[in-house]
Amino acid sequence: MDVRAQTAMVFHLDKCIGCHTCSVACKNVWTDRPGAEYMWWNNVETKPGTGYPTLWEDQINYNGGWKVDEEGRLQLRCQSKSDAFVKLFYNPNQPGLDDYYEPWTYQYDDLFDPEQGDDQPTARPISQLTGKEMKIEAGPNWDDDLSGSPIYAENDPNLQVLSDEDRRMLFEVERLSMMYLPRICNHCANPSCVAACPSGAIYKRGEDGIVLINQEICRGWRNCIAACPYKKIYFNWVTGKSEKCILCYPRIETGQAPACFHSCVGRIRYMGVLLYDAEQVESAMQAPDSGLVDAQRAVLLDPSDPKVIEGARRSGISEAMLETARRSPVWKYVMEWKLALPLHPEFRTMPMLYYVPPLMPVMGRAGEGVYGHDLDELFGKIEEARLPMKYLAALFSAGNVELVEGVMRKLLAVRIAMRAKDLDDVSQARAARALRDADLTQAQAEAIYRLTSLCDEHARYVMPPVQREEAMSEPGCRPDACKGECGLGFTRPPERGR
Amino acid sequence: MTALDPFLFLGLPYLALTLLVVGSIWRFRTNRFSYSALSSQFLERRQLLWGSAPWHIGLFIVLVGHLIPLLAPGFWKALVSHPAMLLAIETIGVAAGMMALAGLLVLTARRVFSGPLQRITTVMDLVILGLLILQVALGLAVALNHRWGAQWSVGTLVPYLRGLFTLRPDMELVIALPPLVKLHVVGAFVIIALIPFSRLVHAFSLPVAYLWRPPQKVVWNNPRRWAVQPRSVRELEEGRRLFLRGVGATATAGLLMGVGVADKLVRFFSGPRMEHEEEIAMLRKKLERLEQTAEGRELELERKRKEFIHVAALAELNGSDGKYFIDYEMRPALAFKDGDGLPLLISAKCTHLGCTVAGRVDPQGRILCPCHISYFDIATGRPNPGSPAKAPLPHIGWALLDPSGAVIAQKAPGGPVEGEVTPDRLQGAQVYIAKRFAEEGRA
Repeated sequence: MDVRAQTAMVFHLDKCIGCHTCSVACKNVWTDRPGAEYMWWNNVETKPGTGYPTLWEDQINYNGGWKVDEEGRLQLRCQSKSDAFVKLFYNPNQPGLDDYYEPWTYQYDDLFDPEQGDDQPTARPISQLTGKEMKIEAGPNWDDDLSGSPIYAENDPNLQVLSDEDRRMLFEVERLSMMYLPRICNHCANPSCVAACPSGAIYKRGEDGIVLINQEICRGWRNCIAACPYKKIYFNWVTGKSEKCILCYPRIETGQAPACFHSCVGRIRYMGVLLYDAEQVESAMQAPDSGLVDAQRAVLLDPSDPKVIEGARRSGISEAMLETARRSPVWKYVMEWKLALPLHPEFRTMPMLYYVPPLMPVMGRAGEGVYGHDLDELFGKIEEARLPMKYLAALFSAGNVELVEGVMRKLLAVRIAMRAKDLDDVSQARAARALRDADLTQAQAEAIYRLTSLCDEHARYVMPPVQREEAMSEPGCRPDACKGECGLGFTRPPERGR
Repeated sequence: MTALDPFLFLGLPYLALTLLVVGSIWRFRTNRFSYSALSSQFLERRQLLWGSAPWHIGLFIVLVGHLIPLLAPGFWKALVSHPAMLLAIETIGVAAGMMALAGLLVLTARRVFSGPLQRITTVMDLVILGLLILQVALGLAVALNHRWGAQWSVGTLVPYLRGLFTLRPDMELVIALPPLVKLHVVGAFVIIALIPFSRLVHAFSLPVAYLWRPPQKVVWNNPRRWAVQPRSVRELEEGRRLFLRGVGATATAGLLMGVGVADKLVRFFSGPRMEHEEEIAMLRKKLERLEQTAEGRELELERKRKEFIHVAALAELNGSDGKYFIDYEMRPALAFKDGDGLPLLISAKCTHLGCTVAGRVDPQGRILCPCHISYFDIATGRPNPGSPAKAPLPHIGWALLDPSGAVIAQKAPGGPVEGEVTPDRLQGAQVYIAKRFAEEGRA
């Protein structure tokens, strides 16, 4: 047993309102630089939709993540060790500018000093690439709220699992539904970007599992961009290096939640420590698609188990980290209640960001465009959900519909139980039946309710006790030198090739 | 030779190599961040495929073709001695060169015409592209104008370049070559000098370690953890296996080399071990060889002391196929019969690098030095214009003796024929070289 600690995350999609505050916070802190304008380390997508970069989930096109070969071994989809060298000159799987968008700003000066005239002055858009006037044709959330649109949402690769009938129903104008999917780097336990990097610049930080790119070692070969199935590594076209979400490690090291977590309006984000067995990761990721979520859960270790504690101590995990792991809200969502699922586990990178799938679109299913009044069916039936279970399963459980239905039953049961308790307009018998069906106890339902609805900042973010001092305690390691080892620690203004 | 040659072929190469080594290390140590492939695929990818791929593949083939003769000239010489192989190598080289040139032209076009790319294109990028185009074009021009470079370079460029690395550079080997070849050599060193100051440094970043490194990489910042568990067990095992394999291979190679060196050392210090009889035989053989040498020297001296040295009978000589002989300075020379029926003697030691000139006269009345293709007119001794050799081959004076030993006629180099020459007097005449002409020629 090789116990590792991982800073893991849960995003509760029922609470996401799609406001993009997280994206803006991240942009202002990290990617407001030349060459990084188009990077959205944090972005929010509308589902069904094509996402950012366009159709990133389509691995037939992008070849990201891992596959299991004929001999049952885990292999990168994008390259073998030898053809990685051929792809240095031209990588057929790397998305180009047209898969993202041409970044732009506005000619704001035109508003302040225009010639006297009959018309209102306008600020025209200018390209941040060429500095010339441009026509804006795409953006990072271009299909925001455009579920049902034939040019965007219909191309969502996850819809391929649905029958034509299901698709037609999903996009019927009055039944249109959608959900928001905020995405950051998953800081995977089995990262394909790390395995694909020819220079060995990308690494997983041992203490907390954050995946970082050493900018001094990166040579801009771009294999990581092709290898990451979530397309969460971006190429800085000015410096010629790859960049990615650093989980705001400078904030984490000072005990603060990352900028996107901290600014989240809907309070959908949870951060906590998970323990996992690094030795089992590879074999777990060789499981068949439908068993991947269970295999991933089996790798996670219970921080209260004495054997695990002993193993963790042997692996050099500090007592403070163990204590944090025992209070982790992520452990509760992922393992204790089994509510949170990984996004696209079939990419086999073992993402460490988990999502509680949204129940909300189930509601309002009752009448013909009219909410039903039958209290027993207040929340509708999961089988008749607006967002088909198959679609959610394609996103969160590699097609295992049972898993998603189980989660939905739990989410529904918590609501019914709390309704019965607080308002008493649902019969106790109905509540008890719902809980039994969902395999929950009354106490668990109340705990889920509390952590979902009444949580304050300290309950949501149980920060790992990784301190800057600890990260740099090596004798003779100068802080400025060590900074270079962690993502973006420039000690001089980065210039292209100089 | 021009005044610039010593700089271009001695100074520049060492300057370029010094800049390459010192500059690259300096840049790596002071600004490691700037080492990058500086890919522009993100901004423009359609034309890149047709530029980058042919350029890099063509360049790789051409570089390999340049490096093998440098590293293994013997092997290369044997390889190109077969005409079919030579043809194949030259064809592959020219094809790869054209591929590289086409790639470069596409790369340059996209730099110039793509708006986003202009933003990230530096002056140095354009300089490098221009130099590379020039260099590849020159290489192709050499291959097409001076055919069979794979063969002739073995005697000229290869020893020159090897001389640079063994610190015994001999620029004589290149300065006589055609201007296209010289420009190609200079271009190569200019590009080498610019590597540390341009995007070309990415060539040093070729990530070969990727072939054997474990797929996952974990970095622990906290040394307390290194003591407890440096890395995961699996990575550790994998690393240990690779390390052991490397150490094993190195150790085996080292051991074999060590055994060889030790064996030589032991033999050197213990001296040869042999029976008395063997030793006597060896010493006798040595003595015999020394005597032979002394005899040879004596003969040489005796020959030089002679007033006349016999070359051939006049009747044996003709105007198209020279007869080799050795002159007073022990140098090779050729004897012909001139148009007037008298002998024509000319030195056969090429004035360029001293090869022996071939004896057959071509229709233009010239003889060829095969080493670097210089044609010498036998009437005047002068080389053809543009040939590597610049000085004419000197004529040698002769004397005609009748069978009784009396001088019939003689001619000093450049002088008139002295003596009466009639066909009946030439009957049975023998051609000699004369000591006094040799001494005059030396003076």
